[in-house]
Amino acid sequence: MDLSAVQAALSDKSYSALAHLCDELLLQAASKGATTDEWPYSVHLLAHLYINDLNSARFFWKSLPQEVKDTRPELAAVWRIGQCLWNRDYAGVNTAAQGFEWGPDLADFITAFLELQQRIFKLLTSAYSTISVADVAHFMGMSEEDATNYAVQNGWSLDAATRMLTVKKLKAQTNQKLDASKLQRLTECVFHLEH
Amino acid sequence: MESLEALVAHIQGLSGSPEEVAHLHSLLKQADGEPLRAHAAALVPFLAHLSPETHSLGYLYLLEACATSGSNLSDFGGGDFLVTIAGFLTACSADQIRLAPDKFLNVCRVLKDQVMQLIMPIRGIAPLRAAVRKIQSSPEQLTPVHADYLLLCLLAKQYKAGLSVLEDDIFEVEQPKDLFLYCYYGGMIYIGLKKFPKALELLHNAVTAPMSMLNAIAVEAYKKYVLVSLIVNGQVPSFPKYTSVSAQRSMKNHAQIYVELSTSYSNGRYTDLETFVQANSAVFQSDNNLGLVKQVLSSMYKRNIQRLTQTYLTLSLEDIARSVQLETPRDAEMHVLRMIEDGEIHATINQKDGMVSFHEDPEQYKSVEMLEHIDSSIQRLTALSKKLASIDENMSCDPAYLMKTGRDRGRFDGRFDYDDYDSVPHKYF
Repeated sequence: MDLSAVQAALSDKSYSALAHLCDELLLQAASKGATTDEWPYSVHLLAHLYINDLNSARFFWKSLPQEVKDTRPELAAVWRIGQCLWNRDYAGVNTAAQGFEWGPDLADFITAFLELQQRIFKLLTSAYSTISVADVAHFMGMSEEDATNYAVQNGWSLDAATRMLTVKKLKAQTNQKLDASKLQRLTECVFHLEH
Repeated sequence: MESLEALVAHIQGLSGSPEEVAHLHSLLKQADGEPLRAHAAALVPFLAHLSPETHSLGYLYLLEACATSGSNLSDFGGGDFLVTIAGFLTACSADQIRLAPDKFLNVCRVLKDQVMQLIMPIRGIAPLRAAVRKIQSSPEQLTPVHADYLLLCLLAKQYKAGLSVLEDDIFEVEQPKDLFLYCYYGGMIYIGLKKFPKALELLHNAVTAPMSMLNAIAVEAYKKYVLVSLIVNGQVPSFPKYTSVSAQRSMKNHAQIYVELSTSYSNGRYTDLETFVQANSAVFQSDNNLGLVKQVLSSMYKRNIQRLTQTYLTLSLEDIARSVQLETPRDAEMHVLRMIEDGEIHATINQKDGMVSFHEDPEQYKSVEMLEHIDSSIQRLTALSKKLASIDENMSCDPAYLMKTGRDRGRFDGRFDYDDYDSVPHKYF
């Protein structure tokens, strides 16, 4: 079974393409009746989690035979991360990720994955006007100290007395550009309506 | 009947140009039938001499004879034979196999039955996906292979793979059963991917398709339709006018408990709905709908919170929890956070005061992305209306249709009524 494409993607750090690649290879291999013992299960599962495709990750896990799940501790550890994501337990994601000795294949992948902290921060910015320091630390999986520093660096203000952070909203960017092709399309549309 | 070697030689020799292939086709048709099947075991080694791409038609005849010969496929080296079929389906030439569509469909059916027997549905996915494209005369045509392919995707839990076939709009259907199965399985795939609006579309088609009598597929589709309607819209719409009479009359009788569920849902009380679900969980389980029913239940919180946005500008977390029957304000906060993340609500949580402020949708429909979106929708609609116009024109030229409307129009008065003749398209004359 030719896994060189997967290896190449891993070393290129093109993580977002990995999920589709793994899926395709799996289907092709299955149709040829190849056995899937050396299949990179952990990489495949983590690839789904990376692009936030939790549904595919869940189904992939469900479709695996029990003995595969039992004999691969790395795979089980990746699944624990997936479970935390599914339950939106973001603090748990960090604990699960940091609490395991990752093999060389996955170590870089996991570090890239943890950059999803940015996404969580963005969510907190859009959802909260004020939020307690404890909660920020909990969601980001950092200590309260680190969380406060991170927030203050991004423009939030700290009220030390009540341990509350006030969120600074980002201004929504809207692009408004028109070009000539739109006119063409508008003409076609009106023409169609007239007839 | 010619010997096998002679036949194979013909296949190898006559697969060049379309005329040669047509000649080959008639030769093959003569050789086809029981005599060929009787030699099934001997055919397999000959397959190795032929190439699936260039000799597709001949390969297909031989392959189909083996596959439908009734003997156990393991006689042909079981798993390897499946690989042969899979390889053929992926590599064959579409032009050649379209000369013998029934045989092609038989081979696909055999592949599907085999992988299901071996309980390895994933093996059939890649080959059937290729097969769908080969036998379709256009991406708008529905084939029996569509339904088999979707079934395998469902069984193997490869839901994303099913999407490639579901994204095409279907305009031509030959067998009604294909359509029902396609809509039902397609709906289930979208449900699995949590794309509920698209699932609703497909299930709606299955429920409102023309049928002279109720069929089991439509009934099962209706049950899921009720559940998905509740998740997406919070209510189940009544049957549209174009639904068949048999469906309007008796569909609900076969899905009584789902109708009761939707009534309970519309009352808006979580605890009542929960009791109802638990009391009837055995029935839901036997219909394989228990998971979906639970999703309906949890959508109740979401719907009740959304209802609050219509009345209040700000509300405390405690009030929210009490109103939608959640345990603690913290639960309410987590629910609201989740809904904000999913884009189902526009709000800001103020932890200091324990309040939530609801906002208007900030979308102003002025951005470039929104324009692109509207633009592509308009293009799709234009294409659709052109398509409708051409179907309408074709239908009004249809002799059967003209006879029926001519009869209904009543007798002529002897005068020409120009208005009447205006609608008859000129190309009929």
